[in-house]
Amino acid sequence: MAPHDRLTTLLDEPAATALPDVPPVLAVEGLTISYGGTQVVHGVDLAIGRGQSLALIGESGSGKSTIARALLRLLPEGGRADGRAVFEGVDVLALPERRFRPLRGRSIGFVPQDPGASLNPVRTIGAQGLEAAALLDLGSKAERREAVLETLAQVGLDDPRRVAASYPHELSGGMLQRVLIGLAVLPRPALLVADEPTSALDVTIQKRILDLLSDLQADLGNSLLLITHDLAIAAERADALVVLKDGTVHESGATTAVFAAPSSAYARRLHADVPSLNPERYADLRAVGERRHRDADATPARIEVAGLTKTFGRGDDALVAVDDVSFSVPAGTTHALVGESGSGKTTTIRLLVGLETPDGGSVEVAGAPVHQHSRAELREARRHLQLVYQNPFTSLDPLWKVERLVREPLDRYGVGTRAERRDRVREAVASVGLSEELLTRRPAALSGGQRQRVAIARALVLHPDVLVLDEPTSALDVSVQADIVQLLLRLQAERGLTYLFVSHDLALVRQLAHTVSVMRHGKVVESGPVADVFAAPQHDYTRTLLASVPRGAER
Amino acid sequence: MSSTTNRSAARRAYGRYAVRRLAQAVAVVLLAYVFTFLVISVLPGDPVSNVLRDPQNNFSEQEIARIVAYYGLDQPIWVQLVEALSRFVVGDLGVSLRSNLPVSGLLADVLPSTLRLAGAALAVALVLAFAIAFGVRNLPAPLARPLRAFPSLFLSVPNFLIGLVLIQWFSFQLGLFLVIDAESLLATFFAAVALGIPVSAQIAEVLIANLDHEARQEYAAVARSRGLGRARLFTAHLLKPSSLPVVTVVALTVGELLGGSLITETIFGRNGVGNLVQRSVATQDLPVLQAVVALAAVVFVVVNLVADLVYPLLDPRVRLDASPARTKEVSA
Ligand SMILES: Nc1ncnc2c1ncn2[C@@H]1O[C@H](COP(=O)(O)OP(=O)(O)O)[C@@H](O)[C@H]1O
Ligand SMILES: [Mg+2]
Repeated sequence: MAPHDRLTTLLDEPAATALPDVPPVLAVEGLTISYGGTQVVHGVDLAIGRGQSLALIGESGSGKSTIARALLRLLPEGGRADGRAVFEGVDVLALPERRFRPLRGRSIGFVPQDPGASLNPVRTIGAQGLEAAALLDLGSKAERREAVLETLAQVGLDDPRRVAASYPHELSGGMLQRVLIGLAVLPRPALLVADEPTSALDVTIQKRILDLLSDLQADLGNSLLLITHDLAIAAERADALVVLKDGTVHESGATTAVFAAPSSAYARRLHADVPSLNPERYADLRAVGERRHRDADATPARIEVAGLTKTFGRGDDALVAVDDVSFSVPAGTTHALVGESGSGKTTTIRLLVGLETPDGGSVEVAGAPVHQHSRAELREARRHLQLVYQNPFTSLDPLWKVERLVREPLDRYGVGTRAERRDRVREAVASVGLSEELLTRRPAALSGGQRQRVAIARALVLHPDVLVLDEPTSALDVSVQADIVQLLLRLQAERGLTYLFVSHDLALVRQLAHTVSVMRHGKVVESGPVADVFAAPQHDYTRTLLASVPRGAER
Repeated sequence: MSSTTNRSAARRAYGRYAVRRLAQAVAVVLLAYVFTFLVISVLPGDPVSNVLRDPQNNFSEQEIARIVAYYGLDQPIWVQLVEALSRFVVGDLGVSLRSNLPVSGLLADVLPSTLRLAGAALAVALVLAFAIAFGVRNLPAPLARPLRAFPSLFLSVPNFLIGLVLIQWFSFQLGLFLVIDAESLLATFFAAVALGIPVSAQIAEVLIANLDHEARQEYAAVARSRGLGRARLFTAHLLKPSSLPVVTVVALTVGELLGGSLITETIFGRNGVGNLVQRSVATQDLPVLQAVVALAAVVFVVVNLVADLVYPLLDPRVRLDASPARTKEVSA
């Protein structure tokens, strides 16, 4: 299916997001929001039918959270909302705070974006749950406590009593998100506003949380405003979609219609950039490595990992982070390391680049063992092996300009003359598609995508053979991610670079990698060519991971 | 990993932490004592023999010999130090050069008055600071905004001035208390107000800054999304995380309370440690002065020790054991 082939404009009448025959629970008209004097949301219209779900989609900064906050009237100081938001017949934006407060929680529930920051760190879950239970008008405190335990069980937390007695820092992100969903649905609100409820979570947990929201919606009959940046999730979970960009609605309508034939250029781009919807998007570029992979028998492996083992801690606390891991990567191809957080991916790459010493096993890069080296030899080996980190927002020194950031590895290794270094920096920056003007900027003045390009330029400047990419796009929006993926594939095709690509996003792996190892609890549970593993997964865990990829179309 | 082994590990970690902090505290007190001893010893002009030889004091030769022997004044300085230290650790603070009475007795006479004043002042400071912070966060803006200026206002007024104004109004004009009956309840209260106001300013500033910070946190907005109003948000959510750092601030203000109480005592005519210090400075009664310095060090160190020991018990986020919390996702 190629949706961009069908360019028919289905939506002549604006904002028909509530399906016909379903009276809207919430109808927003001309919602305009500004912070200080700056307008960030410009006349947004949307409507949610009773018991229905509406997905609000957009890249980061498009104004999704701002809209959610405005509907709950929880904009931070300086925020101001104009327009109408009619909830069950009342314009909530016009109500005085005193009249609106009873609606919060009771009629409109809120599931926040960042589970780690959304519960008071010095109060127990139970104490905060009682606040939600207080909205139920139950008689006694014992009944309220019972209601909290019930809701914790309902959202799939195994030991509600223990969870209630815990402080937030004692629970994982997935558990906290369950708690927050539980507290939001406890008072049985007619409308649940969920602001990227899964963006901070692993794929498998993401699926469970989304399933939970769908199940609760079926049980309780509430309406759902699901905010997401992932079109595939939106298409899979919502009855209707609203696509937002820079605070303006670019497209809206019933999911099936929008998804099959997006009418706006932006929605089409968004659709094309979602890896799970376009697995073969970069087939041409990827084919170069694929051929190299086929000829792999002739060429020696560029990375050879055998029986790698690493244990942290001792005695009862011992944790085998990497357990007998082996894989080999032919030169000029991409090997993906896939698994949930905590599965041992990061430790494996730290061992690979010599930041940790293994308890057993060996790593060879370009035929030379990484760990039997002296310090000086290790330094030389690492020159051919560069690492690109997950988060471009924290991995670059904020005080340095781009020029110095990219030049620093050359200085460190004392490469060439001053003039030669300057040329190498310019070449590296050009090869990642950044203009020379940016050389004098500091990271704060760059977008996330630009920062990650700088990080890649910095890795390339030493002309390495191997790049280790630690979730290089997980902090970026889909469209920015698509640009970076394309860049990486182009560089590989042109220069024959070998990549070790760490990710939890299987759809991305499908687009980018040639071979894959699936890791769980430190072990490789399955490995092989990407096409084979994806077409016929052998291990249950691989099947679970694959099933967790939102596919949109399957509604 | 069961939660019981977790708890006992945490308890052991706390035990180790407490022992380490206690040892540090003892070391600091001893060092402070040694330091003051050395400073006094290098004072020019040998004040001790000045006092002893002062004809007005009428010391007999035997008495002088006894005092010289007691303090080891004819010995090298490090022998004097060792003797002074070994007396100090068993609680012997020496004998006043003036009155020939044990210093510990002199201190015991005046200490209760000072402790009453400092304690009352701390109470005043805390009540005032929390009242201001509550007002700032809960009163309507036209009242809350000027209230925010109070702490810096309080800080800029020296406490002796507040003391003089209070005496002028409440004692001389309104006759609420008599300056001559300085230890009465009301007189103590007003002295504590004079001493407590500047201290309350420091606490209030920290508290307000923390409250503002906490109110901007995501969890505060999420709590409001559960229908909480301003006052409930303040008491249930913001107050505890904002007050925790105040424990440390309070411990740090103890130095100020002690220093301030010496001045306040003079103004209000109280017979406290300040009075004793004043007399001892005038007469160069070094054993008394050294004992007061040691006492101040002990009070300061003990208060900070208590603060450090209590803090981990109040804040659930503080983990003293190094092993990271490992939690598992529970399957649906
Ligand atoms: N408290 C704030 N003050 C000023 N500007 C803000 C504030 N919060 C968000 N913005 C701006 O509003 C715009 C929309 O942000 P947001 O609603 O968070 O987007 P999204 O949730 O889609 O990522 C962005 O340009 C952002 O910088
Ligand atoms: Mg957001």
